[in-house]
Amino acid sequence: MANSFLRRALVPVGLVAALALAACSTTGSTSPAATGSAPGASGAAAAPTGPLTVWVMGDTTAHFDALVKPFTQQTGIQVKTVAIPWDSVDQKFTTAVASGDGPDVLQVGLSKLRTYADTGALLPLDDATLAPYSHLASANFLDGVAGKATAVGGKVVSVPWISDTRVLFYRSDILSAAGISSPPATWDELRTDAKKLAARGPGQYGYYIPQWDSPLPVEMTWDFGGDIVGPDGAVNFDTPAFRKAVDLYTGLYADKSVPTNSDFDQTQGFVSGVAPMLVSGPYLAAAIKDAAPDLAGKWSVAQLPKGTTNTSLLAGSNMAVWAKTAHKAAALTLLDFLSQPATQVTWFGLNGDLPTVKAALADPTLTSDPLVSVYAAQLANAKIVPLVPNWDGATGKALLDALNSIALTGKDKEAALTSLFAATKGQSTN
Amino acid sequence: MRSRATPYLLVGPATVLLLAFGVLPILVAAVVSLTNLDAAGLGDLSRVSGVGLANYAELFGDAAFWQAMRNTAFYVAVGVPSVVLVSLGIALLLNRSQGRFFRVLRSFYFLPAITGIVAIALVWGYLYNTQFGLLNYVLSLVGLGPVPWLSSPSLVKVSVALVAIWRGTGLNTIIFLAALQGVPKEYLEAAALDGASRLRTTWSVVLPLLRFAITFVTVTTVIAWLQFFDEAFVLTKGGPLGSSTSISLFLFQQGFAGARFGYASAGSVVLFVVIAAVTLLQLRARRADVEY
Repeated sequence: MANSFLRRALVPVGLVAALALAACSTTGSTSPAATGSAPGASGAAAAPTGPLTVWVMGDTTAHFDALVKPFTQQTGIQVKTVAIPWDSVDQKFTTAVASGDGPDVLQVGLSKLRTYADTGALLPLDDATLAPYSHLASANFLDGVAGKATAVGGKVVSVPWISDTRVLFYRSDILSAAGISSPPATWDELRTDAKKLAARGPGQYGYYIPQWDSPLPVEMTWDFGGDIVGPDGAVNFDTPAFRKAVDLYTGLYADKSVPTNSDFDQTQGFVSGVAPMLVSGPYLAAAIKDAAPDLAGKWSVAQLPKGTTNTSLLAGSNMAVWAKTAHKAAALTLLDFLSQPATQVTWFGLNGDLPTVKAALADPTLTSDPLVSVYAAQLANAKIVPLVPNWDGATGKALLDALNSIALTGKDKEAALTSLFAATKGQSTN
Repeated sequence: MRSRATPYLLVGPATVLLLAFGVLPILVAAVVSLTNLDAAGLGDLSRVSGVGLANYAELFGDAAFWQAMRNTAFYVAVGVPSVVLVSLGIALLLNRSQGRFFRVLRSFYFLPAITGIVAIALVWGYLYNTQFGLLNYVLSLVGLGPVPWLSSPSLVKVSVALVAIWRGTGLNTIIFLAALQGVPKEYLEAAALDGASRLRTTWSVVLPLLRFAITFVTVTTVIAWLQFFDEAFVLTKGGPLGSSTSISLFLFQQGFAGARFGYASAGSVVLFVVIAAVTLLQLRARRADVEY
């Protein structure tokens, strides 16, 4: 009996210890782990050989398998795709780092890039390494993610793959019924319009702020001409532009223009018209088309409103090569293939992900869609969230905690900002 | 010779398992808690260095840690008595008859315990939803305004605990029912002959005989609630503003989302000490009991 109590008491300790054990095992078996990572490794030959194991994020490998089929036919390099569900990405990666047993190529969400790069598990891709692969030249990609833009500590460890951005979604029917003829062009207009729309009646709002959306206040800061990192790369929220963003963010709450409940459903809110404006990504367009196909024509998207500029978020994923891969040349050949404009357009057709290659974004397949042409235009004016260690768990969380404590619990603004400055002190992109 | 080795042979497998999966992880966690191990350190152990008790010092100065501790204390204080009393009450009522209807009810009360937590959380998430949840719809029928079940920092702990109480009741009801079947009929008949009422019999005969089952359920429930995780993780991810974050959830966030294994290990050692202390106290208290 006492044993069973003891065992139950040990569970939380075991959680962390299991990982630590895995870490210890690498010291004892570095060389077997390194060779073990590449089943069928026959040594580095002159012509790139496979097979390659590729980790893609998501629930299915079917689309990626279809995408790389021509690649295998052209080069003879076999590609084995493994789908990693988004929820288990961190555990999977951590285990791979600890055991040394990883894939050859992996998709890395930009929000994870810094953490992954810090482990040293991603192969540095310097100019000399990339030079033979013409499609990997940084000039081909969107400026916001190309080359040095996604370098960590000055070292490029990944190449752009797919992109994602934030635009303004609005219900044109509801706006015009309220006498608003065009979507707000500035954040000030947006705040005024939101207040007007919220006055439609009880339970009606003008705008929606997802309480978990940490990039939103950063976008607002950019739009007011500022940034959240200083020229030295250190996080700095103590700027006039950020204060303007805070006033806008909390002002929308103070106007009672946005819902305060954290479980507000943005798709339902938009479709029902309760919250007829919000900033979101292309995935919301897909969700709206799914939930309410008959709403077509009553909603649209526009680029972000301006402060002094209208810079938006550039999110998405890059592709990286595992540092201990035995198939470096084959891996880079695959990345080169994935960066061809034709491949990127095919992938958009298969999976709906926006390209990172400029030529693919200008392809008629994409530009013929009015929504996609707005995304493409916004992507040209978009930046990534600064690559600080652990944005989601540290800097981004502190930012949201500060803003939401002002907006939701009425905490004093200066007190909340002071604790934000303290919590993010020492965070840096270097 | 053989007879001397036999007992060690018999306890051997269990001891090895306990050492490998019980004692060793604690020791490893205790060691890791004195280092700055993070994701980078996992890849290259030369980047790990000892930091002494710095993790503990930071932990005890971390407002989020104390918030999680307070939340966990709230969960234990509300959850444990509720689970024990509710499951005991249900067991006593179910034990009144062995009829078909009561047997169906018994399975009914056990259902939450064997349903996946994610399914439970999804359904409860919809019930609680502020906009279109069933609970708020019912309230609106009697003219009450929408309640922010999972959005209000003060209410969210109650909402999350309620789901866990609902879920934790079934298994303990079965344990109590089994214990009730073990109450000798003679005592009940003797009490009836003496003219004791049902209530009196329950209070003076049945409950004292259930003392061991009650202790067992209380101890396991306290441990389970000190490790409270599932409901908060799936329903709210610990929000809003950390007001439903339990200590286990805090450790998960630090360890897996934040990849700060040294820091999370320090927290898990603290949690282990708390659980061990509370459990020892409870077992010591039981020793004073009268055995029937």
